Amino acid sequence: MFWNNKNQKLIDRALRLNPMGQLKNYLMTPLVDLNLPALSVDYLVLDFETTGLDDQRDHIISIGFTEISQGRVQLNRSQHHLVKTEKKLESDNVSIHQITDDEVSQGIGIKAMMNLLLQHMAGKAVVAHYQSIEYNFIQRISEQLYGHALPMVMVDTLQIERRKLQRLFRPIGANQLRLFNLRNDYNLPRYHAHNAMEDAIATAELLLAQICHRQQQHKAVKLKDITS
Amino acid sequence: MEIEQLEIHDFLQNTHPLNKLTADELKQLTAAIEIAYTARGETILEPETQNQWLYLIRSGAVKRTDHQDGLVAQFSSQDFFGHKALERGGLIKNKVVALEDSLFYLIPNAVYQQLMISNNDFKNYFSQQKNQRLKSAINELKTGQENILIKSRVADFLHHQPLRIPANTSIRKTALMMRDSNQTAALITEQNRLKGIVTDRVFCTKVVTQALDTEVAISEIMTQDVITIGPQQTGLEAMLLMTRLNVRHLPVVQDQKLLGMITATDLIHHQSHNPIYLVNQIHKADDQKTLIQLSAQLPTALCKMVDADLNANDIAYSISSIGRAIIQKVIKLNLKKLGKAPVPFAYMVAGSLARNDQTAHSDQDNGLLLSDEYDEQLHGSYFEQLAAAVSNDLNQCGYVLCPGDVMASNSQWRQPLQQWVSYFNRWINQPEPKALMYSSIFFDLRCVYGDVSLFQSLQQQVHAMIKNNRIFLAYMAANAQQNKPPLGLFRRFVLESHGAENKALDMKKRGIMPCTDIARVFALDAGTEVINTADRLSSAEAAGIISQEAAEDLVDSFEFLSMVRLQHQVKNIKLGKAADNYVDPNELSSLERRHLKDAFELISTYQDVLSKKYNQGQM
Repeated sequence: MFWNNKNQKLIDRALRLNPMGQLKNYLMTPLVDLNLPALSVDYLVLDFETTGLDDQRDHIISIGFTEISQGRVQLNRSQHHLVKTEKKLESDNVSIHQITDDEVSQGIGIKAMMNLLLQHMAGKAVVAHYQSIEYNFIQRISEQLYGHALPMVMVDTLQIERRKLQRLFRPIGANQLRLFNLRNDYNLPRYHAHNAMEDAIATAELLLAQICHRQQQHKAVKLKDITS
Repeated sequence: MEIEQLEIHDFLQNTHPLNKLTADELKQLTAAIEIAYTARGETILEPETQNQWLYLIRSGAVKRTDHQDGLVAQFSSQDFFGHKALERGGLIKNKVVALEDSLFYLIPNAVYQQLMISNNDFKNYFSQQKNQRLKSAINELKTGQENILIKSRVADFLHHQPLRIPANTSIRKTALMMRDSNQTAALITEQNRLKGIVTDRVFCTKVVTQALDTEVAISEIMTQDVITIGPQQTGLEAMLLMTRLNVRHLPVVQDQKLLGMITATDLIHHQSHNPIYLVNQIHKADDQKTLIQLSAQLPTALCKMVDADLNANDIAYSISSIGRAIIQKVIKLNLKKLGKAPVPFAYMVAGSLARNDQTAHSDQDNGLLLSDEYDEQLHGSYFEQLAAAVSNDLNQCGYVLCPGDVMASNSQWRQPLQQWVSYFNRWINQPEPKALMYSSIFFDLRCVYGDVSLFQSLQQQVHAMIKNNRIFLAYMAANAQQNKPPLGLFRRFVLESHGAENKALDMKKRGIMPCTDIARVFALDAGTEVINTADRLSSAEAAGIISQEAAEDLVDSFEFLSMVRLQHQVKNIKLGKAADNYVDPNELSSLERRHLKDAFELISTYQDVLSKKYNQGQM
């Protein structure tokens, strides 16, 4: 699969740059096997709050993540961190995330954040709802810090749903693919709070629901059936 | 971010019995949780495999099938399952399947076992069987029950003025005044100062036994050192004082001024929250207008009794007594207008009024049993007029006309003894659906007025027909399966559609009636004539028809369901709404919902027992 070849090329090139620490560990850990049954894969489910959608101009304010292991969301492996940034917060985003400049200045730096992510992403599939934020920001920061892109196995819950609806030739409504509307479709509870860790947990639950439903249609769902 | 800020933590905190955990215990539990999802129709627990979790349903619903007796239970949000397997070392016995797409919070076995040791409320919740849990729920409902006399003040009892007489009144005149004013004591006063007291007892202990001259002044025999009480003292103090000193009358005095008097009877009236008082007033009433006014006080009396935490069976008994007093009075007033009946008769009531299960004004269910001397040509119009007037007057009192026309005003239910006997004969020996419906109405029958021996003669003949009639019992047992209690709550399919409010649980049809129907079959089998549901169950137990455990389970379930219904009715009355049977599940706490589910499951179990006991190979 071209996908794997592309990742293997990335790894080979990155290892030639003599990486250290968490990055080295990440690159040395084999990528998750795409032929594994989807429910037996270990996932890191991510959510970033950012100052905007442009990975070149905008900054990460906070990150939240949780893990799925053996088909269950692991609450005790969930984390939430504020991320330090030089850029002044715009009032729009402050009202959504309720995070102020003061709080952000107490957060972790970009390097520490990447080390944390590399540590937890190693050997896992990475999940996000609408990956272009999380994936693009990680890749931009990786280029800046390490001089190359990161090999990743990505799963996007929004993409899974979009493809499912396209397969069924169903029209897609304006807000239909938003996380909270999709959760409702799968009879998942309404969560009130809005922060990166709760959104990561909400996304993790949605992924389980999507895999379980897919499983009812086609017996054995593999990781490659749901990756982006 | 702290775990307490998670929405999951809030959910756990609002779920019984996790709300009884300490902050630390809850925090540890939250941190240990894993979340799982199951799509509709998929199996969650498979028998003969291992389970290592206590499951808490966050959203969705599941169904548990008991592999031994095929009984099904449903669970939904805030319900737990899986703990029974944990208690037997993880081995799963009963299959659990998702009825809807469901999200679960999984609590690891180690955390469960730890809490079973460290937290008593948690342990009680998961170790009790559902019948024990129900029993402790009933006890919990009653913990508020204390002597309400503590809360009342003597001043509250000063309804009527005592008889006051000057000291020089003669003994004879005093007796006459007491008789005419219907008083059991007279107070001897001087310028509103209390000088002494005489009670009806003194006429026995002094006047007659000592052969006193009745023209002597009352002051000669009065008690001078009168025991009095202040208006601010409690009803309980008054009662204790009376008991200790063996007196029944306490003049109420403040600053040496006589305010009135309370009697032992006043205290009794108060303690039983007006129903006795109301029944007395009904007996005293002498026109229909007064009766209508008194009947309108019934909802208030109900509220008072429920607020005082009396048990449901006693409350229903009191409300039924009021209902019977009203119908008796209505009959009496109409007999007065129509003149003496030409032949002996017995006025009978059926349904909840007969069973002493009434909680509010209900439909009329009644019949008129006439002596076999009855001749339609000669006596027909008298009884027709009587029955029409009685039904009409009851309707005015709030006991609306029976929609099924089961009333003495319908000539079908105004018949001589022979005809009633042949009715029962037909219902018992040709039990088609309509006959079974009549059976379930007319097997709960009570004579409220008239010739009791006539009524007893009917009862004896009917009981002779049922005795050892297994086929009829089998039909009644099958009939008792008609109304099934809901197995899961709060899913739309268990909620009845009715009128304005669309989603509510019909407590009468789904809980109280099935229980009443079960008790009726057991009582018929036991050959007992008692008709109150709780009485029927204990009689059936005494006759060896059911076990003590079964009797207790059913009595407890019935009591709990009745209590929930009463509390709902009182809430409605206070909001100015009708005291109906439709409980909106949102009115209930998660604890009450759990207990309700236990009660429904128990009733369902005994419906099954009933069907196995009587219907083997017959239907």
